[in-house]
Formats: sequence, C-alpha cells, structure tokens
Amino acid sequence: MKYADMAVPSRALHLWRYTPWTRIHPSKVEEVPNASPVSFTVGTGGELIEGAPRIIDAEDIGRVFLSELASQAYTVETSGEQNILRVEAESNGQYTVGHIHFVLKHDVAVILHLKGQSEWTGLHITGDVGPNVRAAFGLVNDLDTETKLLHCEDWNVHRDATLELAALSIGGLRCKSDVRTRLTASGAALRQAISVHGLGKRHVDHHIEIHHDVAHTDSSLNVHAACDDRSHSIATGLLTIAEHANHCDAGQVFRNLLLSETARAEAIPELEVLADEVAAAHGAASAPVDKHQLHYLMSRGLDEETAIALLVEGFMQDGFSTLENEGFVAEIRAQLAIHLEEELKR
Amino acid sequence: MSDEILRVENLHVSVDDTRILNGLNLTINRGEIHVVMGRNGAGKSTLASVIMGHPAFEVTEGAIFYMGTNIEEMSVFERARAGMFLSFQYPAVIPGVQVGTFLKKSVQSVRDEELKGRAFRKELNAAMATLEMQKSVLSRYVNDGFSGGEKKRLEILQMLLLKPTLALLDETDSGLDIDALRIVAKGINSVAPEAGCLIITHYQRLLDHVEPHFVHVIIDGVIAESGGPELALKLEKQGYEWLENPAEA
Repeated sequence: MKYADMAVPSRALHLWRYTPWTRIHPSKVEEVPNASPVSFTVGTGGELIEGAPRIIDAEDIGRVFLSELASQAYTVETSGEQNILRVEAESNGQYTVGHIHFVLKHDVAVILHLKGQSEWTGLHITGDVGPNVRAAFGLVNDLDTETKLLHCEDWNVHRDATLELAALSIGGLRCKSDVRTRLTASGAALRQAISVHGLGKRHVDHHIEIHHDVAHTDSSLNVHAACDDRSHSIATGLLTIAEHANHCDAGQVFRNLLLSETARAEAIPELEVLADEVAAAHGAASAPVDKHQLHYLMSRGLDEETAIALLVEGFMQDGFSTLENEGFVAEIRAQLAIHLEEELKR
Repeated sequence: MSDEILRVENLHVSVDDTRILNGLNLTINRGEIHVVMGRNGAGKSTLASVIMGHPAFEVTEGAIFYMGTNIEEMSVFERARAGMFLSFQYPAVIPGVQVGTFLKKSVQSVRDEELKGRAFRKELNAAMATLEMQKSVLSRYVNDGFSGGEKKRLEILQMLLLKPTLALLDETDSGLDIDALRIVAKGINSVAPEAGCLIITHYQRLLDHVEPHFVHVIIDGVIAESGGPELALKLEKQGYEWLENPAEA
C-alpha cells in the first residue's frame, strides 16, 4: 500500500494514542516531502554497502512513510574482527531520512550514534541476527533538542541467537520509536533495555513489540525513564506468544522516575499469550525520588542537587543492568555519563 | 577550649504529632564512647536521626549543639560536611550507583576538595584492608544485593573515610556474625579516640569489643538511667523491667 492511500491512524489505536501521526509527521500530513539522506559512517570492523532489503509492514504507516521518503538504503556487514562496531549517523538539513540494515553473522556489538540538527529525522533500522550469534545493538539518540524523530526498528533473531538491544534516548524534542523484534526459531533470545532522560518539553514515545513466534524463546524488556521539567515519556509494550510457542520465558518491567510535578510518564505493558506453558510477567511503577535514598546521600555530604543527579544517573544506568555484554554496556553508559555531566553544567 | 562535641538539651521531638523524645539531655566529649540502650520504640533511633537532621522529625522544644553551635537550621548535608556521621540501621539501597563512585563523591563533598586519584585509592585500599573487604565491592551498586554484614561493613568503611568528629552508630551490630562484629568493632575503635561516639545497640556483645565510657537507657523518650559499662551487663541479665517499674523490682 502507498502512503497516499493510507488513512491517518486513529488515536484509539494503542500505537498512536499518545503521539498521533499528525504530530510526528514532518509537514502537512498528506505530503511526502523531499528529504535529504542521513549520512552514515561505519567504523573499523564493518562495511557499508548500498542497498538493503525492504522489510516493510504494509499496514504500518510509519514504515511505509519512511520507505517512500528514503531514496537510498544501506546494508552493514560485519567482518568479525572487532568486538564493537561504531556507526555514526549524522542528520542535518530540514528533513532527513535514512534506512540502514545490519547483517550480524558474527558475535559483535554495534553502537549507532545518531546526532545532528535537522528539523525532522526519519530513521529505519532493520537487522538479522544469524544462527548461534551473540549480537548487541545500541542506539544513542543524541539529536539536537529541537529535532523531531520518527524511528522504526525491525529485527529478526534466528535459531540459538541472542540479541541485546539498548536504546539511550537523550536527544530530540518529540521522538516516536517503534521497535519490533521477532524471535523466529527456537533458542532465540532478546534482552532489550531502554533509558530515557526527559528534560524541558521532551516527548518520548517508545512502542516495543516482541513476538515469540516459536517455542523455547526468551525475552526481557527493561525500560527506565527519568522525567524532569515538563517532559513526557510513554512506553507501550506489546508481547505476543504464538499458539504452540510453549516453554517461552518473557518479562517486561517499566519504571519511571518523576523529577518534577509537571513531568509525566506512561507505562503500558500489553500481553497476548496464546500458548499454555509459558512464563510471562510484566510490571510498571512510577515514583518520585525516593526520600530514603536522598536522605542517605545527603547524610554523606552531597547537597540535594548533587544527590538527585546521582540518583538519576543511577536510575538510568540501572536500566541497562539486564544486558550481559560488558564492553557494550560500558560504552552506552559512558555516553549517558557524558550527557548527564553536560546537563549538570547547563 | 572545651572538648565538648555534642550537647543535647531538653530535646522534645515529634513525628506526625506523635511525641517520641520528651526532654532528653546528653553531652558527648571528644574521645568518649556513649552507648544508648532501650526497648524497641523507646526513641533511640529517633535520637540519632534527629541529631543528623532527618527532615521527618520535628524538634518541638530544646536544642542540639554541635561543637558549641546550635544546629537547628543546618540541613543534613551541612551536618555531614561539619563532621557528623550516621551509620544507618537500614542503609538505603541505590541501584545503578557504584560503591566506588559514591564513596568518591561523598568524601569529596565532605572534604570540599578535588580528590587526587592515587592518594584516594591508597586511602581507600587501607580502609578496606582494615575491614577485610574485597575490592570487587567497589563496582557493585550501593547496598544492592548486599548481605546484612556487607551493608554494615560498608557503613563503617564510609565512617573510616569520612573521619567524622561525631559518629552516630545505629544498631551497627545487628545481624553481624562474630567475625563481622569483631571487624566492625575494629573500625569503630580506630575512629573513636579522635571523635565522640554514640552507639545504639540492644546487645552487650558489641561492648565486648568496644569499651564504652557511658551507658544510657532511654525509656519513654528520656534518659532514665546512666552508668558505666556495668550497666549494659546488668541490662543483659535483668532486662528493663527494674527501670520501668522500680517499685516492683
């Protein structure tokens, strides 16, 4: 289906309830405007190749829109020589768009650092994790504080493979992320972790879908959002376990730290479990700064501002504690520490 | 110059309109170890918390003087920077904050100076060796997944690094096995000569390792009895009944 033939999705839909399509579209909603390409630079250990398979859910307006907007797509293949592959994505211009596909055939961690000052950025990331591969992929959204972001991700995790997905959301003004992973064969596992820092009027909407298509697949999702000022974080999780996909283990935890009276956070886990013999759990909690923790830190000489900053850092760092690739997590955490240090100076 | 470190005068404290301390008086001088005992709910932990400036407690009457200054208007962190330290009965768990980072920030705040990495590491290693702690604790999150004994050792480690002038130890001995108790006592004894110490405990066994100068019993929010180390031994044998109902004793 073409974008022009698609209806604007209703806000009654789970996916579009908090960030309607009209608010994330870059211009007039009926238009597909011209967009310049996001510039990708791949570090040592990977090769950037023109062209990519289009994995498009024809029903999803975001993916159709991004595919029509992007004139070019790229594939990254890893050589297996590096433990961590760094990819820079630079987004400058009024509207920019990019599609990058990852073929992960080796044990590798990829960190994509998204930055730039465009008014609107569209980014579609797709990837395949090959059989028996231990891979990690991290997205650091470090866009300018005025940028709108529409971001879609689609991953397939194959037999006996493990994917660790991390997202550090520290940039952009209004961000809509729709990340979907399919566990396609037995032994496939996903560990997903997201940390969001809400400042000013940031509006960050994460929609996470995890699909257990077959038996003996595991997943975990851990979302931590620290919201200050008038920011708003939304996290909706859709976990599906197909009929006969027995012996799956899936868990989702959403935690929000509210740092001001005007900050808002929504956490909506949703489970569709059609198999009988599975373990599926979810939990959500929103709370202000813990007074006992704050008092404890202040009793050690930290003033209130420093103590809260340390608690926020701890809360966001803890968002990645379910991931096991230490080098990968250390690098994501370092990006977070740099961001928080810069925020403290402002 | 007086060696007085802490003077509590006619202290009345309430929390949510419930009166807990009802005119408590206490003076601690440098080098003195005071032990406070009493039944659960007598007001022992409240005394330590209110001295440290916990915002949940309201001083309705009386005053607390630290180094000769009324500290009513001082916030918690200012008291810490002035040299006051509370070892918590239930230390906070702070996921995501590594012990090493926390210790460095804490010491930096209290000393009000940028720490030199090498010198601080040396000092930290020495303190950890005293408490027989593994270095791996530094990369763990503050009290997250710690056993009771590990939490108490971390409290004492902080005390050794912060070098307080007034050390308040709230049931630091609870839940410790014999070896851990000995190690914790070693930490307390190393700080005590240069500081004033207030130890809250239910048990005599800590006092086998830390010799107090004074033992006080709190009943109904006031110090009902004071004495030397022999008072703790008597309480261990006879309980509090003889103090609460002297006519029946």
